Amino acid sequence: MLTSRVWYLENARTAGVLVLRKRLRKIPGLRFAGLCLVLLLLTGCAATPQLADTTQQRLPERLLLDDVPFHGQRDYQCGPAALAMVLNAQGVEVSVDALIPQVFLPGREGSVQPEMLATVRRHGRIPFVIEGNLDTLLTEIAAGQPVVVMQNLSLPAWPLWHYAVAIGFDLETDELILHSGETPQRIESFKRFDATWARSDRWAFVTLAPGKLPETINEDTAIEATTAWERLQGAEASLPAWNAIVERFPGTAMGYFALGNARHAVGDDGGAIHAFEQAVANDPNLAVGWLNLGLLHRARGENSQARRAMQQAADLPGKWQAHAEDALNRL
Amino acid sequence: MMKKICRFLSPLLIAALVLGSLPVVAASQPTPGTTLISTEEALSAERGQSHRERIHTILARDDVQEQLVAQGVDPAEVEARVAALSDAEAAQMADQLEELPAGASVVGALFAVFVILLVTDILGLTNVFPFTR
Repeated sequence: MLTSRVWYLENARTAGVLVLRKRLRKIPGLRFAGLCLVLLLLTGCAATPQLADTTQQRLPERLLLDDVPFHGQRDYQCGPAALAMVLNAQGVEVSVDALIPQVFLPGREGSVQPEMLATVRRHGRIPFVIEGNLDTLLTEIAAGQPVVVMQNLSLPAWPLWHYAVAIGFDLETDELILHSGETPQRIESFKRFDATWARSDRWAFVTLAPGKLPETINEDTAIEATTAWERLQGAEASLPAWNAIVERFPGTAMGYFALGNARHAVGDDGGAIHAFEQAVANDPNLAVGWLNLGLLHRARGENSQARRAMQQAADLPGKWQAHAEDALNRL
Repeated sequence: MMKKICRFLSPLLIAALVLGSLPVVAASQPTPGTTLISTEEALSAERGQSHRERIHTILARDDVQEQLVAQGVDPAEVEARVAALSDAEAAQMADQLEELPAGASVVGALFAVFVILLVTDILGLTNVFPFTR
């Protein structure tokens, strides 16, 4: 078996297939002819995906990250193999055998997307799901990041879910280079790759040490990924990640809010107050920012500042209003 | 006789129950002044998640834990696997693993399927058979 199956998202369709298969047995000729017709019509739409002009100008003509180690998959275990490749490339020493019990689902003969991300977290790296298009994919590779991609190598009706690691490209021949299945540096045309990638809604992620951010990441995704990582690895380990986020997105309110929480958790209350102040300066409507600022001032016995901040939170309608009013009353 | 024992035991039992529940009460009261709103809570509020949805998300973890064991994951590994999921991912796993059909082999031996996939492979729409490249 070359590829592995990941059962995900397509449940309803899978159930439909069984019905279709029963019918096919009854009148194979008719159904088969119909399906072929549909497929012929479909091919009219398939074309090589085009890169944006700006991307094309920025990227080198061809590129290969040849320092990404290859691990051939066994049986259905493309998930653990793909993880081992990107983690090893990041300097995390972990073998495919160690990853199998952490991410593989025996009952499903595959690995599911949330657990792919979760396993990266366990190994001290932050998984960032990147925007699903060829421009971001190639931009990340050009920035030196091997990218884990999810493909459905087959048709939606009979899925063959597969994880591979994109490690290079050639813009002249419109080809992508992937460590995939049992093949290192497999070459796939942009067209064929994009057709199979599109069936996973172009799902892809990169893994980075805390303190580094993907080239193409947006503010919300970066914050979400770091919050999930902090939940597992703790505030102290995530401080560099929050610092990187406020540096990349200086106008972020939520990023400063999270930085404030992390600083407070490691005992740096002075730093936390600075961060909360910056959060509400960036977005004066961030009620939860005012609330935490007030709560922290109160804990430090700075009651007048606490009252001022809590009053701001209490004046803003929303989920935190009641909490803020309650805190004000107890002051 | 029975009454006497009851009269003696009841206050003891009441005292034991009250004392036993005290630490729980104490733990559930946040210490005033030091409990800040966590980033995860703030984010879920930003996304417009209601209180009930959030509780559902938190309970999802137990659900996923059971389902992973049912899927054949080593029970010694299950806890660490679930702990590494974000709240949103845990909820996603809990909801979708339930809906999954019992693991059937989807690419069957049906000849028609083979031919269709062969054709789509040659057309560059799929990538099932390596020899079509």
